[in-house]
Amino acid sequence: MLAENHIISSCIIERGTVFKDGSMLFENKEVDLAEFLLSVYQHFQLNYPKFYKMDNLSKLGWLASEVLLKDSFQKDQYQPEVVGLVLANRNSSLDNDFKYFESAKEIASPSLFVYTLPNIVIGEICIRNNFKGEHGFYIQDQFDASFIVGQANYLLDNNILKACICGWVDVLVQDYKATLYLVEKKSTDSSKPFSIKNINSIFETI
Amino acid sequence: MGSSVYIAGAGVISGIGNNVAEHLRAFEQEEAGMDAITMLNTIHKGELPVAEVKLSNEELAVMTGLSPNTSRTALLSLVAAREALDDAAVPNFKTLRTGFVSANTVGGMDKSEDFFVDFLEDNNKGKLRNVFDHECGSKTEIVADKLGISDYMTTISTACSSSANAIFYGARLIKNDLLDVVIAGGTDALTKFTLNGFNTLMILDKQLCKPFDEHREGLNLGEGAGYLVLVSEKVAQTLTKPVYCILSGYNNSNDAYHQTASSPDGTGSYLAMKGALEKSGLKPSDIDYINLHGTGTPNNDSAEGTAVKRLFDPHYPPMSSTKSYTGHTLGASGGIEAVFSVLAIKHGIIYPNLRFETQMSELPFQPETRFLKGQQIDHVMSNSFGFGGNCTSLIFSRA
Repeated sequence: MLAENHIISSCIIERGTVFKDGSMLFENKEVDLAEFLLSVYQHFQLNYPKFYKMDNLSKLGWLASEVLLKDSFQKDQYQPEVVGLVLANRNSSLDNDFKYFESAKEIASPSLFVYTLPNIVIGEICIRNNFKGEHGFYIQDQFDASFIVGQANYLLDNNILKACICGWVDVLVQDYKATLYLVEKKSTDSSKPFSIKNINSIFETI
Repeated sequence: MGSSVYIAGAGVISGIGNNVAEHLRAFEQEEAGMDAITMLNTIHKGELPVAEVKLSNEELAVMTGLSPNTSRTALLSLVAAREALDDAAVPNFKTLRTGFVSANTVGGMDKSEDFFVDFLEDNNKGKLRNVFDHECGSKTEIVADKLGISDYMTTISTACSSSANAIFYGARLIKNDLLDVVIAGGTDALTKFTLNGFNTLMILDKQLCKPFDEHREGLNLGEGAGYLVLVSEKVAQTLTKPVYCILSGYNNSNDAYHQTASSPDGTGSYLAMKGALEKSGLKPSDIDYINLHGTGTPNNDSAEGTAVKRLFDPHYPPMSSTKSYTGHTLGASGGIEAVFSVLAIKHGIIYPNLRFETQMSELPFQPETRFLKGQQIDHVMSNSFGFGGNCTSLIFSRA
């Protein structure tokens, strides 16, 4: 019998709101996605100039990871090689691909081109936090809790990772949703068991 | 960990030749492979120089016995892999545990591009056989079948360090006594996909590239394949001719800095070179020649040069970028340049860095510009650095 893994924290960014561990921390509903993402960045007083270069998918995932990890994760307790990510979405990097495709009609933009892959969002989170563990990005029709739980448990139960950030980061034009979970092998007072039922119920919070 | 890994054979095809002998001749005569585009059907014809293999798919098909409808990636692969295997002439090959570790980055993209011309016009059109082998691993399987290798095969795709990583991985399979013989290296054909991608990044030189020159403006793309035959000590003892050398060191390190660019201080390249030296038990001063990654982009050469300075200063071995001959063959470059590295040891040669004029202002050294023969070369470092900060250095040493 394998030891159970635990959801240490969760973050949802959807429909103009930011939730952490079930509580709403920020709301800004009357603006478009780009403006909303910038307002989240400003609200949480993040200081990371590279944010401005990112495409919307990376901005969304990166912001969710910042909120997820703040006050909930002590990265010093782990080697960089044992912290990894498993993410999925429905629309790959299509949101940025469209913008790149438009730019290519005139002069193809190098800064858009380098975001024409969905797993770049993982790279941005890893570069920010110096995470160097295994990571994977999957394209799926809809959020598949059992798949995410299976992948993350495999990495944790085989001691490939000690901490895994997993979940869903999806953007297409003005439709967007990020739900991230920080999963570790140890429990805390406020952690929940890392189960299909629990991650589905967090995913459906909003 | 087991014994040394011996290099028993080498094979190569690129814009400067279709086999090892033609490459050695081109190097000595200082004939670069870059020219106006003739094979690739692209809007950039006449505008961007590339180093094409000077054989059509039909000619490659005749050489290899594959169908002319096969992806050029696989056609090039089979030419070089077969040359390497024939060169090694491993006795009792069929009775040994054999593997094929082949890298590529474009897979069957050349054929997929053909498919989409018709398919986009009418989605009932387009030949499905053109997309059937799109996937990178498919190329490895086609070639392994032709080589008669079925014990183990795998494909590595880590951008421009792909085939250096294939050699690195092949060596570990032998060291851990999982296989006796591994043909390791890589292949990539020119495609619209890569040409347009690099053009978008604005890192292609419209003239012939000038690696490690102060006024370098970018890279030229090339195509080709290069493979080494790696064998265990036990197999090496059965060979009827001397081995080329051993693979004495290897390391892979990552910058974790940017999607495509190297960090300005070359952290990944420094760590890869340093790690490979540590693995081989050598000092920087033991290295007799560095085959640089040297793409000719402002970013790579500056980062790589800074890393070389940090590790080698003040005693710099001769070094050069053979991409000044072959162009940047992407996933094949680590394999092709590994072949050049083992030939440097075998023949005592150092390759010139063509078209070099002005030393880079931030570096206290410059590359070798002459073709040197009769050199005593015992240890060669070969650098291959890829997008995503994926940096690999290999060290080959006289056996």
